[in-house]
Amino acid sequence: MKRSVMVSALTAMVVVVALSLFLATRHPVGGATNTQSPLLGKMAPVVSGARLGGGSPLNIKDDRGKVIVVNFWASWCGPCVTEAPNLSTFAWQERNRGVVVVGVVFDDTVSAAQAFAAHYGSLYPSVIDPGGVITNRYGVTSPPTTFIINAKGVVVATLIGPVSTRQLEVAVAKVKA
Amino acid sequence: MTLTWLGRVALYICFVGSIGGVIEQIVALRHRRASRALWWAGLSLAGIVAAIAVMEFALVTHNFSLAYVAENNATFTPLLYSITGMWSALEGSLMLWVLLQSLVTLGVLFYYRRDAADAVVRWAGLILFSIGGFFTLIMMGPADPFIHNAALVHQGAGPNALLQDNPLVAIHPPLLYLGFVGFSVPFAFAIAMLITGRVQDRWPLEQRRWTVLAWGSLSLGIVLGAWWSYQVLGWGGFWGWDPVENAALLPWLTATAYIHSVIVQDRRGLFRVWNLSLAVATFALTILGTFFTRSGVLVSVHAFSSSTLGPILIGFFFVIVVVGAGLLAWRGDRLRARVGVDHPLSREGLFVANNILFVGFAIVVLLGTVFPLLYQAINGTQVTVGTPYFASVAAPVAVVLLLLMAIAPLVSWRSADAKVLWERTRVSAWAGVVAVVLLLIFGVRRPAEVVAVFLSVLAAGAALRTLRGALVAAIRRGAWRSVLRAPATGGMIVHLGVVILALGIVTSTTYVRRAEVTLASGQSTVVDGQLVRFMGFHAVSDALRSATQLKVSVDGHELRPAVTTYHGRGGTTVGTPAIDSNLARDVYVTFDAVGGNGSTSGAQVQNNLPAGSVVLGVTVEPLLAWLWLGGLTIGLGSALSFFRRRYGDEASK
Repeated sequence: MKRSVMVSALTAMVVVVALSLFLATRHPVGGATNTQSPLLGKMAPVVSGARLGGGSPLNIKDDRGKVIVVNFWASWCGPCVTEAPNLSTFAWQERNRGVVVVGVVFDDTVSAAQAFAAHYGSLYPSVIDPGGVITNRYGVTSPPTTFIINAKGVVVATLIGPVSTRQLEVAVAKVKA
Repeated sequence: MTLTWLGRVALYICFVGSIGGVIEQIVALRHRRASRALWWAGLSLAGIVAAIAVMEFALVTHNFSLAYVAENNATFTPLLYSITGMWSALEGSLMLWVLLQSLVTLGVLFYYRRDAADAVVRWAGLILFSIGGFFTLIMMGPADPFIHNAALVHQGAGPNALLQDNPLVAIHPPLLYLGFVGFSVPFAFAIAMLITGRVQDRWPLEQRRWTVLAWGSLSLGIVLGAWWSYQVLGWGGFWGWDPVENAALLPWLTATAYIHSVIVQDRRGLFRVWNLSLAVATFALTILGTFFTRSGVLVSVHAFSSSTLGPILIGFFFVIVVVGAGLLAWRGDRLRARVGVDHPLSREGLFVANNILFVGFAIVVLLGTVFPLLYQAINGTQVTVGTPYFASVAAPVAVVLLLLMAIAPLVSWRSADAKVLWERTRVSAWAGVVAVVLLLIFGVRRPAEVVAVFLSVLAAGAALRTLRGALVAAIRRGAWRSVLRAPATGGMIVHLGVVILALGIVTSTTYVRRAEVTLASGQSTVVDGQLVRFMGFHAVSDALRSATQLKVSVDGHELRPAVTTYHGRGGTTVGTPAIDSNLARDVYVTFDAVGGNGSTSGAQVQNNLPAGSVVLGVTVEPLLAWLWLGGLTIGLGSALSFFRRRYGDEASK
């Protein structure tokens, strides 16, 4: 069977040209995007489990009455590297102002996650999510994804992508207002 | 202003050299007269060397009248990092790029000066000059390195903290760039062969020579980059499938496919058009990779400079692909070989398998890299593709590649006899079995490790057998030293390097042990058989940085993990790991936290720990140093390959 080189070369050309046109129209990465998710306005699903690095188990129900920021992450995730210091800074700033940051680590090994948290100096606790149970409840497909839960336990915002400290401040201020 | 104008004039001279070269080659092609391309290449090189001299002078003397120096240098930056400061941001990196491009162009034209009248060399020269001209043009417009800084700067910002932390900054970027730039040579020759329609002569093999040079630099560059991130960036990791890492891996994969399949063209005359396509694809991917690194459209840990060059680079990529694929479409059918592969189990059949794996994996990596962008365009939300996706494909590909390395060098051309093949692999197969039994006896049970060791022994056996054959032949001719230039020597040494590298990767990732230990001064503990002792703090403060080092000993070797705050750039604080490395294992120690108030250390503070105690991250990775050793062996093999004799030329030398 003789396939024509011309046909394949032209096909490849069309594909690659389409790709380059697509890439040419992309914009540099910004922060996280605030998206519509089915969870908005619903009660937040349970986040509980073993604490990364050991210690007592963690359950966000214990923090009812505070604004809770739930951040799904994994050590292999590039954008998580970008946002890790922002989350820590935010958690530290808001620690006495009724805001709690909780991480959920999924699709990862515990040792790698621990090393990640240590390296980036996490200033907030994380729950280990073996089998991705919590992750499924929240419908998270990809790290990093951040949910903001108000004092009544209702999900009020979903942020996909690396968050900045400023973004979190704005989103939380809206909840408190 | 003097420096600004001196630098710009030098860049203009460089550009005139490139454009002069292009015009010279066109005129020479049309009027069939002798070409003075070498002179133009020399002029271009002189221009960029002068421009770099101006920039380096400004950097070394901390002359902040150039904006680039004010942004990437400070009065307290040491000499080494002042020099390397040239490539710590986009504009200066382009100067390095153009310098290498000019050197390569001059090198190619000089190497083929006796064939200067050959149309292939003329076209190739024309294309090389155009590429050099393109990058020089960028520096004359949107990425001018010589912008004048009118403001009075007293101190300067200094380079990014991560770019003044490790001397590898002096070696890794130039090697990587040399790899990228080097791929312009096979590309130029591919286009030249397509235009002239001459794919049968010696040019494909000549093209391979240059590809191997570029491939070797890129391989070394990638390994050194991994070494560097291992030392400063990560937590014992060396590869994270980050977009910038993938950007370097993509052309490496297609180039690896190319240097294999072009051998088939040499021996059997097959795959002519395929090889040309690979050469075009490789160069196109280097430009695409540069786009990923420089455009800022993808999130990366390693992107030290994003810029507005995105559209320009993608435009260049577009032109390369249109020209390359257009020529292939136009000429391809006429250049094809009349015959095909006779039998799947033959050397050429296995080379096809090799090519499918490398190119297939390149497509997988490319898809994984651009998938977040595609997903965002369609769904409007962001998604991250990371290690789980890439590793799930890379692991089986690696297994099959090791298997191919074990068999392919021993299989005959055209069609293989299973009995002969068994004859040739028998010894290493038994050695592999013995190795596996030994592993099992010593309690090594992880399947990944056992499979990797077995296949590695086989692959190393195949390489050693081929090397022995070459050595015996050379001794018989009475010139044992000619083995160094024998056709298979370089390649088989590279294979040995890959085996060492593979063992290092598999063992260190399979048997990595991480622990976090809390120690007070004078205490010690045992982590995975390593005695770790903490002996106290040591404060370092100089003009460049202030650091809190920990005096730690691992098995009697003193280590100094630290948290370092660099002055300039708003005082960036980075963790500085310390590594105790030997052939058997690496112990990677990080300063994770300090107890008490720890007000001056810069490290994370844990209030629940007693003052004066520290939290150390200890990672033990067996055979990790084999990665770097394998990388060096690959570099050595590639260097030998550059001087390789063609198969059949044995008698002439």
